[in-house]
Amino acid sequence: MTSLRETAELEVAAAEDRTRHSLALYYRALCGEVCSLVPYDDGSSPWEHADTETTVWLPREAPLDDHAEFTADDWYQVAMTHRAMHRTLGTFELDLDKDEPLFARMRPHDTGDPEVSSLQRLAALFGDSVLGVHIFATCEDLRIDAVTDRLLPGLVRPAKAVHHGALHERPQPATLFPRAAAIEALVRYSLGGSLVWAATEMHEPIARILSVAQQLRDPRATVESSVEAALRICDVLAGLATHGAFRSTHELRFADLDTTPDDSSFDVSTLAERLAGAEGFGGWYHPVAYRDWPGPRYVGAPASDASLEAFLPQIAQASTTLSRGKDDDEETPSQQPHGRDGAAVMSGSDPSAAPDVRPLLPFIGDEPWADLETPMTSRAPNEFVYREWDCYAGTYRPAFTRVRVLAAPIKRADHSHYRALARYGHLVGRLVRELERVRPDGRTITRRAPHGDDLDLDACIDAAIDLRAGVEPSDRIFTDLRQRHRDVAVAFALDLSGSTAVVLPPDPESPGTVRNILDLQRDAVSLVAQALDRVGDDYGIYGFSGSGRDDVRLSVVKDVEERTTPAVWHRLGGLTPDHTTRIAPAIRHLTERLRDVDAATKIMFVISDGRPFDIDYGQQYGEQAMLGYSVGDTAKALSEAREAGVNPYLVTVDPDGADYLSTACDPGSYHVIADTLDLPEALATLYTSVRGTR
Amino acid sequence: MTMTSSAPAATEEPFYLPVHDEVELFTAAYEQRIPVLLKGPTGCGKTRFVEHMAWRIFGRRDDAPDQPLVTVTCHDDITSADLVGRYLLSGEGTTWLDGPLTQAARTGAICYLDEVVEARKDTTVILHSLTDHRRTLPIERLGETIEAHDDFLLVVSYNPGYQASAKDLKPSTRQRFMAIEFTYPERDLETRIITHESGVDEATARNLAFLGEQLRRLDEAGVIEGPSTRLLVHVGGLITRGISPRRACDVGLVQALSDDPDVQEAVTQVVEAVFAA
Repeated sequence: MTSLRETAELEVAAAEDRTRHSLALYYRALCGEVCSLVPYDDGSSPWEHADTETTVWLPREAPLDDHAEFTADDWYQVAMTHRAMHRTLGTFELDLDKDEPLFARMRPHDTGDPEVSSLQRLAALFGDSVLGVHIFATCEDLRIDAVTDRLLPGLVRPAKAVHHGALHERPQPATLFPRAAAIEALVRYSLGGSLVWAATEMHEPIARILSVAQQLRDPRATVESSVEAALRICDVLAGLATHGAFRSTHELRFADLDTTPDDSSFDVSTLAERLAGAEGFGGWYHPVAYRDWPGPRYVGAPASDASLEAFLPQIAQASTTLSRGKDDDEETPSQQPHGRDGAAVMSGSDPSAAPDVRPLLPFIGDEPWADLETPMTSRAPNEFVYREWDCYAGTYRPAFTRVRVLAAPIKRADHSHYRALARYGHLVGRLVRELERVRPDGRTITRRAPHGDDLDLDACIDAAIDLRAGVEPSDRIFTDLRQRHRDVAVAFALDLSGSTAVVLPPDPESPGTVRNILDLQRDAVSLVAQALDRVGDDYGIYGFSGSGRDDVRLSVVKDVEERTTPAVWHRLGGLTPDHTTRIAPAIRHLTERLRDVDAATKIMFVISDGRPFDIDYGQQYGEQAMLGYSVGDTAKALSEAREAGVNPYLVTVDPDGADYLSTACDPGSYHVIADTLDLPEALATLYTSVRGTR
Repeated sequence: MTMTSSAPAATEEPFYLPVHDEVELFTAAYEQRIPVLLKGPTGCGKTRFVEHMAWRIFGRRDDAPDQPLVTVTCHDDITSADLVGRYLLSGEGTTWLDGPLTQAARTGAICYLDEVVEARKDTTVILHSLTDHRRTLPIERLGETIEAHDDFLLVVSYNPGYQASAKDLKPSTRQRFMAIEFTYPERDLETRIITHESGVDEATARNLAFLGEQLRRLDEAGVIEGPSTRLLVHVGGLITRGISPRRACDVGLVQALSDDPDVQEAVTQVVEAVFAA
């Protein structure tokens, strides 16, 4: 029995899950982008929690303090808004060659190879220094917060409170070396602070910095304005010492400074040289908790677990190599930056790049089966627990696998539904015609209906008699002729195991295009889905993978009864090969899902590229018994589906599939496709035949 | 059983602000009697546009039909008899009653079939002879074929957002129309529409338009059907009656867009960001 404490923990986890979901939707409403929201507990190494293009890191506990008048909900809303506004207001759409309205241009006219993204070239303006990128990020923070105040008046009060709270967390500038103190003054100013403790010697540099920074609150400011501002501010910072501290400090009110803009006092011509490697030692930049930490994406890297410090030299080297390669007009191996673990960080979605085949999980340990009997529980609303069939013991293992249902991530570029249709479009029309043919044809005539096409003669005579007799006649005098509706629901489950990343032989019709088995599955489903949309059959598309019995993942591309939107095709493109193939729990979950659907005919297609396998799937009986165990469980799950009124069908592109499936599965419940490339056409044909026989 | 409204000639020009060149396109199509297909999301102004065009075409004409615009809201139970007409029983026998399509074809009105793909495909086939060079409507039960009045025009609409995939017009029907695509108006235009239609002040209308713009991004994600201009006008109407903006958005927008608590929470957060307490 679940203890009270466990129940409370589950409730907390469920509430946290809901909050994350609604915050992710809020983010999406503001900027139109999808994000995965990841909580962290330890904020001591902020660079580890730098946001990426698709991931937002937030502390599990909102940093509240005694002075600030805001709630945790306020804090999260302000933090998510700030991040969303970076996207909406173009922080990552920098164009170094674009003019901006506030400053006389100090950027060099030659900002590097225009084929390299502006963000990748940004750091070079600052001598590839982290300092430059951080100052640019702070300028952007200032601009973003100013625009947010204008655009979202409802957020002004909580934002002010959160900014005020952030000011309380700032270090005391009097203890910082001059450059760090000047940076701190800038950060405080960006948070709406009105004063700082500083030495008299710092008045002039701080005034110059603020004279630039204040212009970023102008409604016309753009991300390019932030670059201009950062160059000027860095020019001031480059002249400040990176050691020691002034003994005598006093309160300096920003309002008392002369902050009249004066561009003549700046000279950024040698800035890159002066800043290169000039960050100094010690803490010169202290994070603001509600703002995102400037990570590698500020220099054009899509995702990485490396810090900006570790990343910049590699970006610089990659840019140089790319430039040199271009200049030399010769093929140069791409210099991919590396993550913390040394793994190559893939940038973008280069179609010619090698597929991301991840290794399977490592061996579990000396006694891997010790916890086999521990029953699973669902810890969140999106988790479901299912039994597993042990064919050697001849019994079910109750609550043995845990399925996590996740929304498939959206990826716009990789798979185009419409490209798939262009490739296989000739099959759609045929499939539609064949499906129309098996449509439950004919019409139902309802007599004595209140509405309809024609008068019902018998009812009319009765009504006429009633009229003559002075009795109120019935208004049910029509015949209603109605076409029977299709009543089909089908679920497609795609294998997302690592082996689906295997690259297919080159296609002579599309030279240079690298496609893998998963791409082919996507094409097959796109094709059939298009036909189903046309004939009106309801369908769902799911992907399954896993890494152990407690982590079977079911990614929902389109749920049954969900309407088809462009997002469905983007989600289909977002599926990636990932770990192992534990088919049975996916079948059991989809059986339950279809059980809830009100349809006369329910069909499930499971498409796989090989034998069922997982890291803890029958290994307790020895390596030789694994296949028998996993196939036995799969066959049992198929049989359970049939008992539940679902017609399951296992399609495998493993040419040896018949060898193992025939021993356990009903011959009518699986189909082996000898040549993987035939999958789209074969699936279309199979669907028609399965649909026609039901 | 039809949901039909036959509007008498409007005395005032129905308010409509063109988004693109739809007025010119419709006018040109009418002059050539080319049937028109209007595509666009719910509440973006398709119906108002047709009312407006009916007024522009017939509003000042002495020979305009009594009911220049006949609107039929289609659904999947609609039959050809609902459009063409049927015999009704009376004490003396049966009498024929023209359906809205026949009525419009006889009198020279604009017949507007709203959400046409909701109607069954076998029903919409009866439109074919009206939408090509023949411009005739065969009435099987009367054993006659009527010729459409010179002023008659057929206009149909549908919402590709939620109808395109599950339902579609047969190609043989679709290719008889010229299509005008509608989108939600951009912020400035939508602000003017909300101001005019609801009477709310311009600043509030601009905030509502901005709010609509944000929430429509959730439509692109398939999370909700994005708020229509009509919905924003309703919220504006509540605000003009003294309801606070946040409360008006709650009852007029948040609750109308979704029943999912997480989605409601997200929408509420956007509302609260846009409108101060």
